[in-house]
Amino acid sequence: MERAVPYTVPLGQREVFQALQRLHMTIFSQSVSPCGKFLASGNNYGQIAIFSLSAALSSEAKEESKKPIVTFQAHDGPVYSMVSTDRHLFSAGDGEVKAWLWVEILKKGCKELWRRQPPYRTSLEVPEINALLLVPKENSLILAGGDCQLHTMDLETGTFTALRGHTDYIHCLALRERNPEVLSGGEDGAVRLWDLRMAKEVQTIEVYKHEECSRPHNGRWIGCLATDSDWMVCGGGPALTLWHLRSSTPTTIFPMWAPQKHVTFYQDLILSAGQGPCVNQWQLSGELKAQVPGSSPGLLSLSLNQQPAAPECKVLTAAGSSCRVDVFTNLGYRAFSLSF
Amino acid sequence: MGAVTDDEVIRKRLLIDGDGAGDDRRINLLVKSFIKWCNSGSQEEGYSQYQRMLSTLSQCEFSMGKTLLVYDMNLREMENYEKIYKDIECSIAGAHEKIAECKKQILQAKRIRKNRQEYDALAKVIQHHPDRHDTLKALEALGKELEHLSHIKESVEDKLELRRKQFHVLLSTIHELQQTLENDEKLSEVDEAQETSLEADPKP
Repeated sequence: MERAVPYTVPLGQREVFQALQRLHMTIFSQSVSPCGKFLASGNNYGQIAIFSLSAALSSEAKEESKKPIVTFQAHDGPVYSMVSTDRHLFSAGDGEVKAWLWVEILKKGCKELWRRQPPYRTSLEVPEINALLLVPKENSLILAGGDCQLHTMDLETGTFTALRGHTDYIHCLALRERNPEVLSGGEDGAVRLWDLRMAKEVQTIEVYKHEECSRPHNGRWIGCLATDSDWMVCGGGPALTLWHLRSSTPTTIFPMWAPQKHVTFYQDLILSAGQGPCVNQWQLSGELKAQVPGSSPGLLSLSLNQQPAAPECKVLTAAGSSCRVDVFTNLGYRAFSLSF
Repeated sequence: MGAVTDDEVIRKRLLIDGDGAGDDRRINLLVKSFIKWCNSGSQEEGYSQYQRMLSTLSQCEFSMGKTLLVYDMNLREMENYEKIYKDIECSIAGAHEKIAECKKQILQAKRIRKNRQEYDALAKVIQHHPDRHDTLKALEALGKELEHLSHIKESVEDKLELRRKQFHVLLSTIHELQQTLENDEKLSEVDEAQETSLEADPKP
């Protein structure tokens, strides 16, 4: 619980401004460093803050360990999505993607390595990039967002290829390891599977057309996607559903009325978060195993730190419509919160 | 150098017997009584003092023996504690290994549970669809009915063709007969005309 500022101390302009900023902050994206000991989070002001997980989890953690070790202004607009490779951090916001070196960031150097903008159809539009996906086998980065296309950027040469098919903007991406295929879900209510080598659409699942899971009063947008090679979970406007990909049939519908914004597979569970302060844990059979409340009124992103280099920092972090990142050491309860 | 050893000596003596009520005092008393005995005059006093000194000496020896025994006991207790400490360390290591083993088993069990739940989910969907044998049988029955009906249709069409041909034959025969009758009529008319003209001719 945060202590309120005592009334007798007069607040300067700067403190008032910072307090207001924290009040209106939304954290859109998170990413774990390759060593597993640091967490980067990006907010709606375009700032990226790096928290030290190892310091906050250690036994001598104090209040200052829950504050960021570095904060820098990364983009002019919000940082909607971030992803890490074993040396770089890629962050994407309004229209462009920037790369940063983790070693530089940890040394508090805030200079970007490069910035690229995928070729948009018109030069007037600056669509936001909602999702980034790393495809390690092809060494490429996929960007998707407001211009309804998936742009594949080859990380060595920097060339872009576009995949067209969606009719409305794209919210989320997921990688299907085995084939390898990319799934994308968007505002048009369809989940499309793309084969990267042939660069075309292989399968389309129109979720809103299946009456078991569609909820027309919420809309048909797909807000979150996760895949486990044979299975896929998607949610958003329609109910959160587990699909069997090969037969394109919905198998289990999770009874959650609030639209979910982020979902992921973990061991034998499905973790989801969305409107509402709780992280929900579901069994594949559709039962709600646990609902663990966090500290933000709504959650936008979940991140599981499974980096093998730091097993002591294996935590789940959740962030959303507040300036706090909740850390769950054990999926059963919220241990503490990091704060911008 | 002298000051250091003095401090050491004072510390040691205070540690051993600070309050002056025990062995240290006894030894000091013994030394003082020895000096007194050496300086004493009479025989019996000297003898009684000598006896007293012997008893003090034996008391000192007794307390020394006690201290030695306590020291041995402490050493043996220390060994015992060392052994227990090592045992506990071994069991801690064993427990750590068991914990790691159990964690692996939990992961395995979770994987199994996940597979089972995936199977259940697919099975539920499959159950909604009708049984394959039933549908195959229904398909076969429908196929047979279709064949049967097409046979009937063929036979009916053949009959229709036959009747059509028979009617055609009948109608063409009727037409021929009609033609023949007309021809006959015409021939008979011509014959009549010829006859009347012949009758008209011989009159002049």
